[in-house]
Amino acid sequence: MPSGTLLGQALISGVLAGGMYGLLALGLSLSWGLLRLVNLSHFALAFLAAYLTYELGTTYHVAPWWAAAMVVPVMLMIGLAQHWLFDRFKVNELASLLITFSFAVILEVAIQLYWTADYRRFETHYSTMSIKVGAFYIPVLELALCMVAGVLAWGTWLWLRKTYVGKALRAAAEDADIAAAYGVDHKKLAYLLSGMGAAYAAIAGTFIALIATLAPAQIWAWLGVVFAVVIIGRLGNPLGALLAGMLIGASESIAMAIFAPAWAPVVSFSVLIAILLWDPEWL
Amino acid sequence: MNHRMGAWRRRHVLGGFVGLAALGAPAIVRAAPSGAPVRVGGTLSLTGFLAQTAIIHKIAAEIMVEDINSRNGFIGRPVEYIMLDDQSKPDVARSLYEKLITVDKVDLIMGPYATAPILAAMGVAQRYGKVMIQSSMGIPHLQTYDMAFPATPFGPEPDKTYPNVILDAMASLPTPPKSMVIVTSKFPSAQFMAKGMRLEAEKRGVKVPLYLEYEAGNRDFGAIAARVKEANADFLWVGSLGLESNQLLEALRKLDYTPKTSFHLYPAPGPLALSPDGNLVWCSTFLEPDEPFMSRPGMKKIAELYKERATKANLPYAIIDAQAAGMVAAWQILEAGVNGAKSLEDKQIAAWLKKNVVTTVYGPTKFDGLYNHGEPAQLIRQVQDKKWKVVWPKQFVAPGVKLIAT
Amino acid sequence: MADLLSVENLSAGYGRAVVLSDVAFALGEGEALAVLGRNGVGKTTLLDTLVGVTRRFAGSIALGGREVGTLAPEMRAGLGVGWVPQERNIFRSLSVEENLTAVARPGPWTIERVFGLFPRLKERARQSGGSLSGGEQQMLAIGRALATNPRLLLLDEPTEGLAPIIVQELLAALTRLLREEKLAAIIVEQHAQKILPITQRALILERGRIVHQSESAALLADPAPLERFLGVTGR
Repeated sequence: MPSGTLLGQALISGVLAGGMYGLLALGLSLSWGLLRLVNLSHFALAFLAAYLTYELGTTYHVAPWWAAAMVVPVMLMIGLAQHWLFDRFKVNELASLLITFSFAVILEVAIQLYWTADYRRFETHYSTMSIKVGAFYIPVLELALCMVAGVLAWGTWLWLRKTYVGKALRAAAEDADIAAAYGVDHKKLAYLLSGMGAAYAAIAGTFIALIATLAPAQIWAWLGVVFAVVIIGRLGNPLGALLAGMLIGASESIAMAIFAPAWAPVVSFSVLIAILLWDPEWL
Repeated sequence: MNHRMGAWRRRHVLGGFVGLAALGAPAIVRAAPSGAPVRVGGTLSLTGFLAQTAIIHKIAAEIMVEDINSRNGFIGRPVEYIMLDDQSKPDVARSLYEKLITVDKVDLIMGPYATAPILAAMGVAQRYGKVMIQSSMGIPHLQTYDMAFPATPFGPEPDKTYPNVILDAMASLPTPPKSMVIVTSKFPSAQFMAKGMRLEAEKRGVKVPLYLEYEAGNRDFGAIAARVKEANADFLWVGSLGLESNQLLEALRKLDYTPKTSFHLYPAPGPLALSPDGNLVWCSTFLEPDEPFMSRPGMKKIAELYKERATKANLPYAIIDAQAAGMVAAWQILEAGVNGAKSLEDKQIAAWLKKNVVTTVYGPTKFDGLYNHGEPAQLIRQVQDKKWKVVWPKQFVAPGVKLIAT
Repeated sequence: MADLLSVENLSAGYGRAVVLSDVAFALGEGEALAVLGRNGVGKTTLLDTLVGVTRRFAGSIALGGREVGTLAPEMRAGLGVGWVPQERNIFRSLSVEENLTAVARPGPWTIERVFGLFPRLKERARQSGGSLSGGEQQMLAIGRALATNPRLLLLDEPTEGLAPIIVQELLAALTRLLREEKLAAIIVEQHAQKILPITQRALILERGRIVHQSESAALLADPAPLERFLGVTGR
């Protein structure tokens, strides 16, 4: 049986790693839940943002937060442009899956053309920094990621709950025709949300650049687990996405610490299936 | 001359005539290859999850085709490499080799890289009786086809021989490690070597308190790092690919733990050498652009050309290493086989290769052993001043270099 | 007095099916109109066409002198069309209060005033819309339309399928809206006796055409058209 220190450490790194799942799930969950658009290119946008952060950081020595400040507006514009296409061609849920898949493949090829397929690593001195708390180590970057993800998830949750726009979006997500008859301009709100989703992808991308390994094919590495997170966290629920991300991250990490690391990929889907079978009220 | 060549000649009478002249009297046209090109077909994983290393193989292959054409080509005829993208998918590799052989009617084939596409292509090669040289299959016993030849000198049983090279190097240290943690990707060639490492270590009295396998594409190394730290062995052996070693070492440092000595199997060489975590780590290799390797025939020019082209292609690590050298050796073997047998006939090429010694960038290479392998020549390199230096076995260590204990 | 709503020569339906033909009527500020008729004669289609969720084949709809027949539903809502659909269609995942605030527009009808009209909604303000009873959902649907501060309220069978005690409560609220607040409204009903007393004017539809138009009081005094087109009298 593993020691308490080991389990505690695994739990900490798992919850923090789960913050990344949550952050990636956030934008996906919003567009899927509130616009009925399954945006597979979300991962590609995040990686494009990560590569841009990497490029700015390594070639021009731009600090990651300034890089994020530059990359977020760019991604926002891409998100709006992408939504223009969805709107123009009246894309439905299934078609969005296919179209955004193609878009992701195109982005993958474009990234490979410019940055080659070789692994890229943005080395910063933050990447190995950690804070010691008792017997445990808390990695600084992952902690920052979780705090940013927490602020975004909480802020988005409040925004959806408390503002006119947020409530109108939720109303339109439930019944777009009826909402329109009450004056909700669903189209404009959809643009706003798509732009936001892409901006979230950009923020996730900045952290991917700092934490993970960049390779074009890695775009697909997060797909399965993040989809599980989106579903467990409930579509369109930002806080749910973050909590589900941390739940999956912690489960994976504990499985790695107690059983075998190779079990990790099985964990997310096992948790998903278990929760779907359990069918709790909040799902 | 076989039937295929005959059919081909009917369509290209003039070129065929020149080709025949070349076949009949190679000495006459030795100065520069001429006539219809000898077409060599093959795939590389230019896209998909294996794409990281495709560009390396592509550059190496292009250098070699030019190099061969600057000499005598294949029996006096220029060589043309028809390269297709197998998308890192074995089934795509299989159908592309089928197409290359039956539709494009290439004269010869060149193997792809990485175990899965190689196995897929080998099946097709066997069906059509084509010689296949492959550059990088790390599990020799999977190479069951008698006209398949390995370009990289793993030896027939690297899972037995190479762990002992590592154990010898460990034993040479001032305080030889007594325990070893093994962490490996489940990627087949890494897992194969990790299993052998555990067996051989235990045979020689090195304890293995922790043996972990992780899925290829593992995202978070936090929990694995916590277990490695807790086991706290004298030596860490990592069956890594790509940047997994960087990720694991980084995760360990976040726990304020640095392994005493660590070995890494097939990591991306550049990032590990440059990482602050990479200082003095060990790694497998077959050559480095250093002595005694640079004195091997052609090596110096190839290493320079590689550096130039890799830099131009925007590769972050532009130094020739085992990945690129495998492809170089594969072409050197095919060149030697064709020109040695004086034939494009697959059977004759295979027969010649089995009887002769080919000198490649990896040194004298034989194909007379089990699974067409010769002697193993897998070495150990160490990061010293952010550069890879071969440090073991001693006869391959450059003057002034030595294994630095940690 | 200029007409608030003026409908002329209106034909509309769904897909290729024409349900309404050549419908024309007008409604003044502060007036309430009862739309009567049997099942399936096009009453709901008439309201849906005014809202803009059907297909209009011909004719014009002018609201406050401005043509709205070509506008999208959200534009018409912005110009003052408030709709209480037959199926109520409240947003089930939103709370009662959110159902109101999600669509609210500035004007005399604040959320507090809606709660004043329907105190039950205030008690259930934080519950999800889906948890309400049928009558409460109807109140919420009316309250939601009021929260948009409409110039013209469209009510589609507001008492349909509700318990008598709730019907009483709803009719009392409607009476207050129409008599005291002088809100212009069109109410679709099958049961004429319930709404004729609270409306000024009435029309009867038969197979998509208007077959009778008069003062509501006149119909109450002489129910012959009701007997003829609805086959009922004293209900």
